[in-house]
Amino acid sequence: MTAYREIRVKTPLALKILPVVSVTAFFCLWEFVVRTGIVPETMLAAPSSVAQLFVLKLSEVDPDGALLQEHAWVSIQEAFTGYFLSLAVGIPLGLAMGWFVMAEGLARPVFEIIRPIPPVAWIPLTIFWFGIGLPGKIFIIWLGGLVPCVINAYVGVKMTNPTLIQMARTYGASDWQIFRQLCIPSALPMVFGALQIALACCWTNLVAAELLAADSGLGFMITMGRRLAMPEMVVLGMVMVGLTGAVIGVVIDRVEKKLLAGIRR
Amino acid sequence: MATLTPTPDIKIACTNVNKTFIQKGKQEVPVLDDVSLAVRENEFLVILGPGQCGKSTLLRIIAGLETPTTGTVTLSGADGVAHGVEGPGSDRGLVFQGYMLFPWKTVLGNVEMGPKLRGLPGKECREIAKRYIELVGLTGFEDHYPHQLSGGMKQRVGIARVYANSPQVMLLDEPFGQLDAQTRIFMEQETARIWQAEQRTVIFVTNNIDEALYLGDRIVCMEGKLPGRVQTVKDVTLPRPREFTDMEFLRLRQEIIDASQLTL
Amino acid sequence: MSSNIANETTCAFRDRQPWTVGRVLTNRYFLYTVSFCCFFLGWDYLARTLGAEGSSSLARPTEVIVALQDLWDNELAEYKLLGHIWASTQRVLIGFCIAAVLAVPLGLIMALNRYVNAIVKPLFDLLKPMPPISWISISILWFGIDETSKVFIIVIGTFVPCLLNAYNGVRLVDPELYDVIRMLGGNRRDEILHVCFPASFPAIFAGLQISLSSAWTCVLAAELVSARSGLGYIIVQGMNLSDPAMVMGGMAVIAVVAWCTTLLVTGLERYLCPWKRKIAGL
Repeated sequence: MTAYREIRVKTPLALKILPVVSVTAFFCLWEFVVRTGIVPETMLAAPSSVAQLFVLKLSEVDPDGALLQEHAWVSIQEAFTGYFLSLAVGIPLGLAMGWFVMAEGLARPVFEIIRPIPPVAWIPLTIFWFGIGLPGKIFIIWLGGLVPCVINAYVGVKMTNPTLIQMARTYGASDWQIFRQLCIPSALPMVFGALQIALACCWTNLVAAELLAADSGLGFMITMGRRLAMPEMVVLGMVMVGLTGAVIGVVIDRVEKKLLAGIRR
Repeated sequence: MATLTPTPDIKIACTNVNKTFIQKGKQEVPVLDDVSLAVRENEFLVILGPGQCGKSTLLRIIAGLETPTTGTVTLSGADGVAHGVEGPGSDRGLVFQGYMLFPWKTVLGNVEMGPKLRGLPGKECREIAKRYIELVGLTGFEDHYPHQLSGGMKQRVGIARVYANSPQVMLLDEPFGQLDAQTRIFMEQETARIWQAEQRTVIFVTNNIDEALYLGDRIVCMEGKLPGRVQTVKDVTLPRPREFTDMEFLRLRQEIIDASQLTL
Repeated sequence: MSSNIANETTCAFRDRQPWTVGRVLTNRYFLYTVSFCCFFLGWDYLARTLGAEGSSSLARPTEVIVALQDLWDNELAEYKLLGHIWASTQRVLIGFCIAAVLAVPLGLIMALNRYVNAIVKPLFDLLKPMPPISWISISILWFGIDETSKVFIIVIGTFVPCLLNAYNGVRLVDPELYDVIRMLGGNRRDEILHVCFPASFPAIFAGLQISLSSAWTCVLAAELVSARSGLGYIIVQGMNLSDPAMVMGGMAVIAVVAWCTTLLVTGLERYLCPWKRKIAGL
């Protein structure tokens, strides 16, 4: 009798091999396409050239003026500063907006005006105010992380179980007590969700800020690669941006899991 | 363990059904142990048992959504020839405990789903659907979406949806489990009314003794623990509509309670 | 079953109370109005004080309106304001549509077929962490500074959320719904057509909304780097000409246009998914 739903105790061998085959084929195809000249070397760099440049940049300052680690470190610093600032401002603001009518009434119009404007659009204005340098970039990154923090914190507080709120009132708790001891813990899962989202937003905006106005950092390296017509530097920059972002994301995820170990999502 | 002697008008027969689930850690969980039962044509059979006794699994095996580890389930078609149950199909209709209505379809859309899948023309589908919506008492709600309906109404749509497909057997898996007590009594009365208006072979799974006695022609009592076994089979010959306070009703009720092996 | 805001539609009971000063001051809409006015007044004040010192870093609201009026009537690099708006919107729409047409079916197929999933997902996971803006440079290397490079960036930026949401939308469908279709006599094809697609619609629309805001960010970034038209171009020109009024005017127009497109998608969703229930949020 043929079963309608098979109990899949073992994954077929094909499914285990296919991912490896797929990725390997991708890199081989990429290498092949560049080496044989189907795509000219001015437009795309082979994986081997990118790898070579990677090793080179770890110890060579040329041709863009800094080591790879220095670029990466600058970017990480900027990103984290902006990120933590946006957490520090966005989350309390969102929590307050969710509970206190005063806070929402005063903050929401300004928030709704600022919200549809992508942080990238602020770059020229930031250059007016801060010039090309660190404070401007941190401002853009901060803007990027602000919106998801506020929204998630707000929704987190709004989703507090109303029955629990009513119960707290029957115990005679004041508004502030309910906020501190009920709403904030209830909102924690959503807030932790915001951590990851805000990080992704901050990281994206970092690259944007560095593409346009910077003298160091991974985004700057990408732009230099384009100006010097060195696609391997562009690709190296892209890969480093992606890799660093992914690693930071994993770290944040681990930290979050440890902190939330007791609370069930 | 009591079974029914096979007679020519048996609609469904389960013979020596065993079911063992293999959990993720390669752990084996026996759910059904040598269960046999037979259902006559147009009979209202109730499978009664407390939670976690395998009765839902038994129903799903009859529906074809699970396969027994050993044993067979046969279904007699309209021609009287018994053939084995292989996978789910429209000859058996299942009313789910969680309603499981398609949230993106209206009441009418949900009920006419079965005829549409069989390829009937649109007008006919709609007529069939409207007929059964009327049977369950939901005329006027055809264009409502499931999220606009109460629990009892949603379950009536589920019943109408199964009826519209004209199955040979109707299977109901604790359909009123999520309703409050009074709605539940109302739905039991409705079910009895609907079934008497259009009789079908029904297998009804429940954990509620009163419900079982109110609705069933025969009650299969399962043991109260895994692996599930049939404990007794009781015939209920009370005339319909039944009274919850009838002496015979209460006597049977006490018998079942005494026989049940549940302890706190 | 626990009741939370997402579940029930309850009406808020409000007693009629007399209007006292306290109640007026804490009324939500009163506060909105106050906040709105303070925002513009504060902006104006800041702009005037900074302008008095001689630095041109902020433009007054009236100056912004004048700048927009000017753009509306006169041409900037061969286009008037409407032309620039259309240039940006056009890029967003084209890139968005291409990406949606590619990503949504691919996401659905990946969720339905394990083998396609095994081939495509690893590649997708490799490319996903790279922010779309980082592709701008390589896009310019490949396509130059014309329309194709910008549309390419938008496609990259919209592809990821669309695919992810289509993929997750199918994976999160209640498996019992497949049982229902099977019991009604459906086969695998009916499962996909009658359950997978409709059930994943809300998730796909959520993906479209996220992609849309991502698309706007991408188009702006691309236009900031190299463009001859579009809203990003207006802002860059304002920067080059040290004209904060033009910059802020451009930002205001971007806000309005982005808001309009979001409204469009939300409206479309409400039309196509009338069964979706609202959850509290901003």
